[in-house]
This record gives sequence, C-alpha cells and structure tokens, in this order.
Amino acid sequence: MADHLSATFAALADPTRRAILARLALGETSVTELAKPFRISAPAVSKHLKVLERAGLIARSREAQWRPARLEAGPLKDAAQWIEHYRRFWEESLDRLETYLKTIQTKEKKRGRTK
Amino acid sequence: MDARNNTQEFVISRVFDAPRDLVWQAFTDPERMKQWWGPKGVTVVHSKMDLRPGGTYHYAMRTPDGTVMWGKFVYREITPPSRIVFVNSFSDEAGGVTRHPMAPNWPLQMLSAFTFEAEGAKTRFTVKWSPLNATDEEKATFAAGHGSMQQGWSGTLEQLEAYLAKAA
Repeated sequence: MADHLSATFAALADPTRRAILARLALGETSVTELAKPFRISAPAVSKHLKVLERAGLIARSREAQWRPARLEAGPLKDAAQWIEHYRRFWEESLDRLETYLKTIQTKEKKRGRTK
Repeated sequence: MDARNNTQEFVISRVFDAPRDLVWQAFTDPERMKQWWGPKGVTVVHSKMDLRPGGTYHYAMRTPDGTVMWGKFVYREITPPSRIVFVNSFSDEAGGVTRHPMAPNWPLQMLSAFTFEAEGAKTRFTVKWSPLNATDEEKATFAAGHGSMQQGWSGTLEQLEAYLAKAA
C-alpha cells in the first residue's frame, strides 16, 4: 500500500515548500508570484511545486496558461491528524506518569516513616 | 539518521516532581512502564522489555472498548540515566512491524528519543519524534534541508490551521 503520509511529510520537510504552502493558504497564485518572496528562481519554485503536486498537497490548473497552484486540504489534514493523535498519546501517557510518580513517592515516604 | 541533528521533529517536554533515577526507572522497568504507559483509559496487558541497543520493548494496550493494540520500540541507544533513542512502530502479537489497523497510511515507524535531565530535585523529561521513512526522495530531502530547517513543524501547522479550519 502506498504510504501517502510519507510523501506528505517528505514534501513538508523543506522550509521553502512549507512557505509556499503557507502562501497558497491565502489563495491560488502563479509561479512568478510565488517566486517573489524567495531568493530562488522561478524554475526552482517549479521544482518545489512538482514535489508538492506529487504528494497531493497542491493542484495546478491546466486551463489557464499561467497554471495557478492551489492548496489541497486532504493530505494536510491527514498529516495534522496523525501528529495530533501521536501528541495526544504522549500527553495523556505523561499525565498518567505524573500520577504514577506521585503515588509511588507517597508510598515510599509512608514506608520511611513507619521504619 | 541521528535524532540529535534531525530537525524534522516534534517535541513534548514535561517537568516531573521526582528524582531522575525514578523517572528513568519508570521507562526502563517493564513492570513500572505498565502502570502508566498509554493514553487515558487504556490498560497495558503485555509489557516485555529487552533493554539494550537492538533489543525491543513489546507492549499491548487494551482500550476501553476492548480493542487490543500492539506496539514496539526497537532500541538504538541507551545512556543511563539520561537518554534513550528508539524506533517506535505498531506491532502485532508476534512482534512484527505493522501499520496502524485503523489508519493504514500512517507512517510505519517513528524515530523517537527520550531525554532525562535533572533540575534540582525535579526531572525534565523530553520526547522527540519524527516519521522515519526511508524513501529515496525523503533521504534527499533530509540531506538538502539540513541546517536550513530552523522552523519546526508546529509553526507550519499553526500557519495552516486557519486554512484547514476553513476547508473543513
């Protein structure tokens, strides 16, 4: 089975690509517009867009000649959901650990007093 | 891949009002681990640990609805009482590496690191993790992005949160 999330995370691993996604969250735009805030060329932006497109994070219109890119929410949601799930797993485990550590330390203190 | 210089990480840190040795024991004694490991409401029904590099911690959790979930750690580095590096994955009774039964497209393995730091009589515990996938594209991405990746994941997710809320 294809591991969609791996592709999503690989695409998100690059800071330029994350910035591109953040820009696209404001609305669809062209390669030229996307290249402006970065110190990289339009062809370099195109390469990043290809990675993002393969990962399903963006879609590019084939109708207009300037081929605007837009964000696709699905894979991003999956990634955010996975991260949230794992974070919650840890937060709740650590809550339980906190309680456990308190309990055993109280027990040890009591034992110490009866000695 | 080294967890220390892999900046593609998620981090949770917590200070416990307990000495470091005790916190260390909570993570390295399978009987103690059983008492707290897992989210609210689960019961650890299997807890076997072979604490050495290459060794595993194999566990099973029963959720309130009766589902039993297996998981495992494969230890990479153990430095008492300050650091443990391991690969975490879902598992089965036989100890294989599996995908999440309810989310088959979730990453197969998570590279994780625990650190334990004494802060007076208290202990700061930190867990860091990142998806571990060995696709060539990803390897290339890691290599290319090294050192330039100052902004973590959480920042990106915050930025995208508004968008996701809108698209819901």
